[in-house]
Amino acid sequence: MSDVAQRGPAPRVVSAVLGSPALHLIGKRLLTAVPILLGVSILMFVLLNLIPGSAAVQLLGPEATPDQIARLNEEMGLNRPPVTRYLDWLGGVLHGDLGRSLVSRQPIADVLPTRLAVTGELVGLAFVISLAVAIPLAIAAARRPNRFFDKVSMVVSTGGLSMANYVLAILLVLLFAVRLGWFPAIGFTPVSKGLGDNLYSLALPAFAMAFPLLCFYARFLRSDLVDQMQGEDYVMTARAKGLGPWQVLLRHAFRNSSFGLITIVGLNISGLIGATVIIESIFSLPGIGQYLLQGILTRDYIVVQAIVIVFAVVTVLANLMADVLYAVLDPRIRYGSH
Amino acid sequence: MAVTEVLTSSAAIPEEATPARSSRLWRRLQLALPVGLLALVFFACYILPLVAPIPKPTGGDVLNSLLPSFSPGHLLGTDPNGNDILSRILYGGRTSLFVALSVNLLGLVVGGGLGAIAGQLGGIVDNIIMRLFDVLIAIPSLALIVAVSLSLGPGVGNTILTLAFFSVPAFARISRAETLRLREQPFMVAARLSGTSIWRIVVRHLAPNIGPQLMTFAMLGMGIVIVIEGALSFLGLGIRQPAPSWGNMIFQGQLSLSGTPNLVVWPSVALFLTVVGFNQLSEALRARWSAR
Repeated sequence: MSDVAQRGPAPRVVSAVLGSPALHLIGKRLLTAVPILLGVSILMFVLLNLIPGSAAVQLLGPEATPDQIARLNEEMGLNRPPVTRYLDWLGGVLHGDLGRSLVSRQPIADVLPTRLAVTGELVGLAFVISLAVAIPLAIAAARRPNRFFDKVSMVVSTGGLSMANYVLAILLVLLFAVRLGWFPAIGFTPVSKGLGDNLYSLALPAFAMAFPLLCFYARFLRSDLVDQMQGEDYVMTARAKGLGPWQVLLRHAFRNSSFGLITIVGLNISGLIGATVIIESIFSLPGIGQYLLQGILTRDYIVVQAIVIVFAVVTVLANLMADVLYAVLDPRIRYGSH
Repeated sequence: MAVTEVLTSSAAIPEEATPARSSRLWRRLQLALPVGLLALVFFACYILPLVAPIPKPTGGDVLNSLLPSFSPGHLLGTDPNGNDILSRILYGGRTSLFVALSVNLLGLVVGGGLGAIAGQLGGIVDNIIMRLFDVLIAIPSLALIVAVSLSLGPGVGNTILTLAFFSVPAFARISRAETLRLREQPFMVAARLSGTSIWRIVVRHLAPNIGPQLMTFAMLGMGIVIVIEGALSFLGLGIRQPAPSWGNMIFQGQLSLSGTPNLVVWPSVALFLTVVGFNQLSEALRARWSAR
């Protein structure tokens, strides 16, 4: 990081970047991420070793002879002491080798990119939908607080918050796929077969994931905007110099409120990734969540371990990104006066 | 679960702006409606099967399978095994409510206690406790819960234990943050300086002060746990058939969605209403306690 920065063209910019609290924050947070990820890997290893019934028995079925089981255990290296297995595994992960699936015998690192792409697209789409609806909705509601539109949209979004996304997913399938036939009920069309078809196949799952989030964002942003509009001095200044209400709302209050929204969005990434476990299985999308569930159901604990680590890395990075973005955007935090 | 992560990890939920023209009636309704709704849910699940002629949730007659809603004797119809759907919803609700209450109680006592101790003692104790919880929080909740439940196995007790892995750290974070806020208050300094033991400080001085925040979160947590327990049972890792649970009913119904949508719709309605009740109660409590 610092090497790259030092070779930069403008020395003043370089020193500003190097001395910036944001960079300091990144460094500090990256350091604390290491023990967290180690902890996650140890916890998962211990938990998965506690699973009743060995993987070999599971793979060979109930008729397996003890001899066969012993041979498979030997072959998969499952008869070595747990500590050795953990350290071997950790060494492999640090070299980008996540191990081989016990069931398909495929290296996990080979399968992961295509699956990550599907999940990434789904999560990205869910964020885009939720923000694209929530921001205009919140602004419109905050324009006249406690009036009709505000009340209605807030009651609806309170209901939406209480909607489990798997229930919503199934009801969407029931309505739009089974009854109306507008969307495919399940399945995934890759981007290579056309972006339109691809988005079409992801529309229902993305919306099911986006809706509770959308409601939360709309409520969060709306109440933050109302707070800003009612209590802040800069709003009064802007009004006093003759700006119209929409301009004050959009150019002043919204800019301030967007900081909080960014933090929340960053914190949500981990939750959305967790939600893909269930959403991808409902819509049978070949993403990483479905892969995790398959691994769980077939007791392929190498796959489970690998994916949980990937999840944890993404979560830690997302939280880090949110923190840094917040620090970079908000001068009060950037200069450490708050 | 998206909402879960949002609600547990955002310490920054701003207080609702107080409505300019909120009448007293509205305020009362805000509390009375969710309380009434939840009372209805509890009554239906725990008392109704005792007094009303409701069939058993399991062991139905296959000859009666897949009756439509509003059939005589089966108000909401029957499932593929001939079990009464209404009865399964009510008995499944008992499981959901019991699991949710236990998980939140565990979180409140264990998580709240550890968080308060960590915040009060600071230093190495704080570091150890909170770093351990950081590990749990770094795993997306559903992935963590799915992995834990796999190693513990299905069943009510194990489901509770599994979900506690998620609720305890969340409560601990809130409790610690609140404790830190109170730590330098005069009454806390006085308690410390007069040599009060840590247990007494936590129980007598901290608990009454951080209780409201934790209770508000616990109500929110009830809704969250009910949803996650549903997800777990939906995936076949929580409560297993033939024992009823809203999650596994929705899953079973989803398999024949086009033919018999009522299998999915009724448990979904029950789930939704209960979660709305708890969420609204949490909101009403927050409004009430922050207004003091």
